[in-house]
Amino acid sequence: MLQPFRNLRLTLPARCASALSSIAANTTASSADASPAVNSGQIDKLYSKLEIELRGIDPAVLKSYTWFATTAAEHLGIELGKCWSPRKAHHERMTLLKSVHIYKKHRVQYEIRTHFRYMNFHKLTGSTLDTFLEYIERNLPEGVALQASKTELQQVPEHLQQPPEQV
Amino acid sequence: MTTNLVRLLECNIRNSKATVAQRTMRVFSSQQEQSSVEDDEEFRVLNLRTIKQQARRRVIKKDAVPPPRTTHMPVDQDWSAVWSGPRSFHPASVPLPLRQGYTERGAAAPSKYANAELMKIPNFLHLTPPAIRQQCEAIKKFCTPWPKGLESEATWKAIFPVEVITTDYCHSLPTIRHPEARRVTITLNLVDLKFDAHAKDKFLRLVGERYNQETGVLTFTADRCPTRKQNYDYALYLLTACYHESFVTEPWEASKSEADMEVYLFERNKAKLSAEAILNWNVNGEKQAPSATYAESVEKLINEGENEYNIAKYKEEVLKMLKIAN
Repeated sequence: MLQPFRNLRLTLPARCASALSSIAANTTASSADASPAVNSGQIDKLYSKLEIELRGIDPAVLKSYTWFATTAAEHLGIELGKCWSPRKAHHERMTLLKSVHIYKKHRVQYEIRTHFRYMNFHKLTGSTLDTFLEYIERNLPEGVALQASKTELQQVPEHLQQPPEQV
Repeated sequence: MTTNLVRLLECNIRNSKATVAQRTMRVFSSQQEQSSVEDDEEFRVLNLRTIKQQARRRVIKKDAVPPPRTTHMPVDQDWSAVWSGPRSFHPASVPLPLRQGYTERGAAAPSKYANAELMKIPNFLHLTPPAIRQQCEAIKKFCTPWPKGLESEATWKAIFPVEVITTDYCHSLPTIRHPEARRVTITLNLVDLKFDAHAKDKFLRLVGERYNQETGVLTFTADRCPTRKQNYDYALYLLTACYHESFVTEPWEASKSEADMEVYLFERNKAKLSAEAILNWNVNGEKQAPSATYAESVEKLINEGENEYNIAKYKEEVLKMLKIAN
């Protein structure tokens, strides 16, 4: 299911790039199908950290999902950082009058409990991160929200490396 | 007893006679087909009293419920083929003696059959450890290893000092957009940019709150543009503009008086003139300048305040400058 899309996305640029310029050092189109991620013709990004926040109403589901994600990371050779969850859920309460009209002393209270869980992964390349994130996002159970913060590493832009000569 | 038996015999004989007669009729009728059709039809009865015939109840045919699949499952089956994707719980497909639900104290929890509790919670039966391993092996070819030589944070900070933080959201809303997904944060250390004294001072004044004095980290956050790409470009533009602007010296900057100075500088102050006057007392030839260590001690005394160390250092430098043995 996931495979054909990936293949398409990664091999297509390689072929285009090789067709356009055969001198590019990064593109080696001859072994494009052997390891498509390496030969896609574009420089891989580097991510020092991937922080994932999970929110859900059922802590057991979040726990199972965390186990799944960490196991998948282990199989893919991704360095696992701190995984934790706050001990208490976040309670959002709403207090209403129990009766339609009067009787202010008698109220009813509704609440939404949101449980949080955090995972950290370190030292991922761009293709690893895309693959891993897509895999775990596809397997996200219903009623769970995921937030992925990615810290990308970049060089200082060329125009900022030296002080400007004339201003 | 005997009468009964006789009656039964008679009945049998009559029946046998009737069947023989029917057979002869059949043989005869096969020759004349048209007449046989009329013979087969029942004689129509004139229904004088309109008695409503009872409507026959429709019998709905139901297939017999097959026994649960779990009874036929071999022990060494491929479970990921049985439960290949996310699906709500089905008791006849899961060969586990699950029980779930609240009961009276002491009673066993309800079994898995017709148990809504088990169907409500999302299950992970499609993500068993062998299934995860199998799927990870299939997608592993799209992964690339972390480059060698960048193992620790210090090594990658030296080459890649700029960090760009973006956030993706995956949630079950009708829309896939999230307003926070456009936010881009760029951080870098101040020491990674090259400055002269004037430019650094001006740069810090320009960036203001974006510089953290304690950690020395610059942070540029942009979320005013509609897309992430635009925000990234805008944050980089801000950094570039501040950096280049800090090297511009405006004409009015020369009119900075001593009251506007944020730090005490020995070069600009009366202390330097006084020290020179003392050193060059009655000297006509080459003029002597106060030493750099003396200048430093005076600056420290005024900038950091009078503490025991600074005062002792200042005293030492003064004695040295005036060539007084103590």
